[in-house]
Amino acid sequence: YRDLHTFELQAPTRLIEWARGSRVCVAGYGQSDGNEILQLIPPPTLLTKETQGLCPERDFKVECGGFSERPVYSLKYVPDTSLLVTSGPPDSSLQVWQMSAEDSDVIKSVSPIATENGTGQSWSKITTISARAPWVLHGSRLDRVQITEVESRKNVYTAASGGSEELSSLAFLDCNTLLLCCATGRLCLADVRQPQSLVEAVSAPSAPCSEHWCMGTRHGAQGLEPSSQPVARLSSKGLLTLTDLRKTSEFLALAKARVPSPGSGAEFLCVSWAPALEGCLAISGFDGTVHVYDTQSWDSSGREAEPIFVHKGHAFGGAGGSGDPPLVTVHTWHLQKPRTLLSAASDGSLHVWDWVQPCGKC
Amino acid sequence: SHFHLDHCGALPYFSEMVGYDGPIYMTHPTKAICPILLEDYRKITVDKKGETNFFTSQMIKDCMKKVVAVHLHQTVQVDEELEIKAYYAGHVLGAAMFQIKVGCESVVYTGDYNMTPDRHLGAAWIDKCRPDLLISESTYATTIRDSKRCRERDFLKKVHETVERGGKVLIPVFALGRAQELCILLETFWERMNLKAPIYFSTGLTEKANHYYKLFITWTNQKIRKTFVQRNMFEFKHIKAFDRAFADNPGPMVVFATPGMLHAGQSLQIFRKWAGNEKNMVIMPGYCVQGTVGHKILSGQRKLEMEGRQILEVKMQVEYMSFSAHADAKGIMQLIRQAEPRNVLLVHGEAKKMEFLKQKIEQEFHVSCFMPANGETTTILTNPCIPVDISLGLLKRETAIGPLADAKKPKLMHGTLLMKDNSFRLVSPEQALKELGLAEHQLRFTCRVHIQDPRKEHETVLRVYNHLKGILKDYSVQHLPDGSITVESILIQATAHSEDQGTKVLLVSWTYQDEELGSYLTSLLKKGLPQSTP
Repeated sequence: YRDLHTFELQAPTRLIEWARGSRVCVAGYGQSDGNEILQLIPPPTLLTKETQGLCPERDFKVECGGFSERPVYSLKYVPDTSLLVTSGPPDSSLQVWQMSAEDSDVIKSVSPIATENGTGQSWSKITTISARAPWVLHGSRLDRVQITEVESRKNVYTAASGGSEELSSLAFLDCNTLLLCCATGRLCLADVRQPQSLVEAVSAPSAPCSEHWCMGTRHGAQGLEPSSQPVARLSSKGLLTLTDLRKTSEFLALAKARVPSPGSGAEFLCVSWAPALEGCLAISGFDGTVHVYDTQSWDSSGREAEPIFVHKGHAFGGAGGSGDPPLVTVHTWHLQKPRTLLSAASDGSLHVWDWVQPCGKC
Repeated sequence: SHFHLDHCGALPYFSEMVGYDGPIYMTHPTKAICPILLEDYRKITVDKKGETNFFTSQMIKDCMKKVVAVHLHQTVQVDEELEIKAYYAGHVLGAAMFQIKVGCESVVYTGDYNMTPDRHLGAAWIDKCRPDLLISESTYATTIRDSKRCRERDFLKKVHETVERGGKVLIPVFALGRAQELCILLETFWERMNLKAPIYFSTGLTEKANHYYKLFITWTNQKIRKTFVQRNMFEFKHIKAFDRAFADNPGPMVVFATPGMLHAGQSLQIFRKWAGNEKNMVIMPGYCVQGTVGHKILSGQRKLEMEGRQILEVKMQVEYMSFSAHADAKGIMQLIRQAEPRNVLLVHGEAKKMEFLKQKIEQEFHVSCFMPANGETTTILTNPCIPVDISLGLLKRETAIGPLADAKKPKLMHGTLLMKDNSFRLVSPEQALKELGLAEHQLRFTCRVHIQDPRKEHETVLRVYNHLKGILKDYSVQHLPDGSITVESILIQATAHSEDQGTKVLLVSWTYQDEELGSYLTSLLKKGLPQSTP
């Protein structure tokens, strides 16, 4: 490590979202009501490029917070507005929140966005964009994908049905192109301008036992064609595939991560690309660790890949020895510092760490 | 509440210059340590900064003479009505939270406290005293602190790096508190890493510190107490007593020296010797009063004017590491959960309202939460309980009546409340009458009911008797030899109407206690008798 800071949240979070002004947002997902949404100001040590010395200001500060009656599984800020959207069980509706004006630190609940709640519906996956207007793309299943204009609550797009599989995540590749990832691993593309245009890009990988898949897309650097960025998919058994959306007939790369088996389920599977390191991605959700890989050396053989760094802090953090070992619920990359990540675990810990590349190019 | 200057700094001013002449209470360690800090503070402010309207050394002495020291959990009777009690607050040696009680209303003021134990102090604790108001500090309520391990690791890293490159590390400390903790930390690290560079602490520090720890060992935490019993607090393998001459020795070393703000004495002397070398480092472990060298270098000043107009250029690295602990949001919630106050008041320095924390407290504990600004008055309504003594006889009698007493449900009792000379007693009415020398009055109601019946009186009575017997099956209805009817204790007699022989007048008479039955009977009789009665 170059640096490691450990914090303890009052309640564990399964999301870490970046907001304007380097703010970070976390939220509780526990069963009982009274979950908190907290927008935090990171300590100055994490905001500057150089690593500071024994800086007196080493703590996160809660800038504002809100109370949610339901567990918060997903949260996204709506760009160009002072709103944010959350989702979580028991149904697929979305909750909308308003950040308060200067004199108050409460995030207020505003009326929700209702969705069709059919049988067997789980919580909606969400993502936001502000192109033509502030939009939220949401859906719990492949046949329930919609785009709602956040301020007017108008439905501006409904995707054609391509099946009823559960979705694991969705993303805007640009202001017109949607990428949907099903839990089965199937990837579908759609164009907002053509409602009937849902197309399967990559089929679900065939596997004897059902694995759960999630995806990670790269926030492309300026000027680069979004679909030229490879899409990573991670399975609950540790399989990683990289696909170029322009050439979906074959994998760019296929590798296997060394993960414990039997796995601990697919609840917190997370894969993400490093914004400032070419070809680096991180995975978590299998145990109390976060793995960082350099995919530039990968081929399509499906061999086991060696991580360039493993963060084990959450496994050793615990106060007491009782109960299950903590499970990493989410991780995210720092947007400017190339090797800094934030990760959270089921015991409420929140770590910020920066590693040193032992040798090589990363 | 404790010896930090932001809490006791104005005490001598208050008692010796403003004219406060009431009692002054503090814990024993606070009483012992306060004067040292106050004298230091006075010296810096008057001698260095040139303040003129300030208290003198004599005033500090006079003030401290008035102080009454208290023990933890000892109820101190200030006057006939006012009591105070101190609770352990953690934070620094001797820090306390105070409960202030008048009758059955109370306020708890926390001062600075800490809910997580550290290397030499335990965590704050209070019992379920249910005060009407809990006044708590909330400046750190919005912080999520990084772990102690990370702070300590960074501290050790800095010391290690400096020593590895041949530099010297100066750590100015106040004799108590963090010095002990940092020594333990370094000793363990040196042992583990097998480091050879010498570590020293100035003797003045050790003597004073040992003395205070001996006096106040019960104020420290379990671990310290255990080790103290086995050995001298400052007996370390790698840490030795300092001699002035050592400051000129070549090579790396670490020195703990007093005083803590670099304002005089040994730590300042050493600082002047080492400041010019960029390989060296000074680590300030706490707050420094304005006017001290410590404060100046922490503010970024690198050229200092010393006595005799000499300019000292500071090339050594200046670091600041605060280990002092305050309660965060989680800690505040824990304290509220322990004390169970009816209202909470948060003291804070933020201009922006902490609505979020207020709502969090109100939602979780269903209490009102106030956050007044400086100068603002808050009014809190209390619901005082008035304790009343109940006579044993009455208690026994009332508990025997009706359903069995249930610990969870209130039981309604009847008695007479006597208020005399500030005492409240609940006694039976008979006892009350006796004590007051009053006779009991009996209240009796009589009602006349007219019935159309031409027969003789005793026949009417018989009719009434049979009628009532038939209806009031659950009651005792009797026909007495003297011609009257009784229903329980209610008496019914019949007479002829003075003017009209066809009408009979029934006199229905009952006591106050039988009001309900009495009115029922009356309305029943008013309906008249059924025609066919034997």
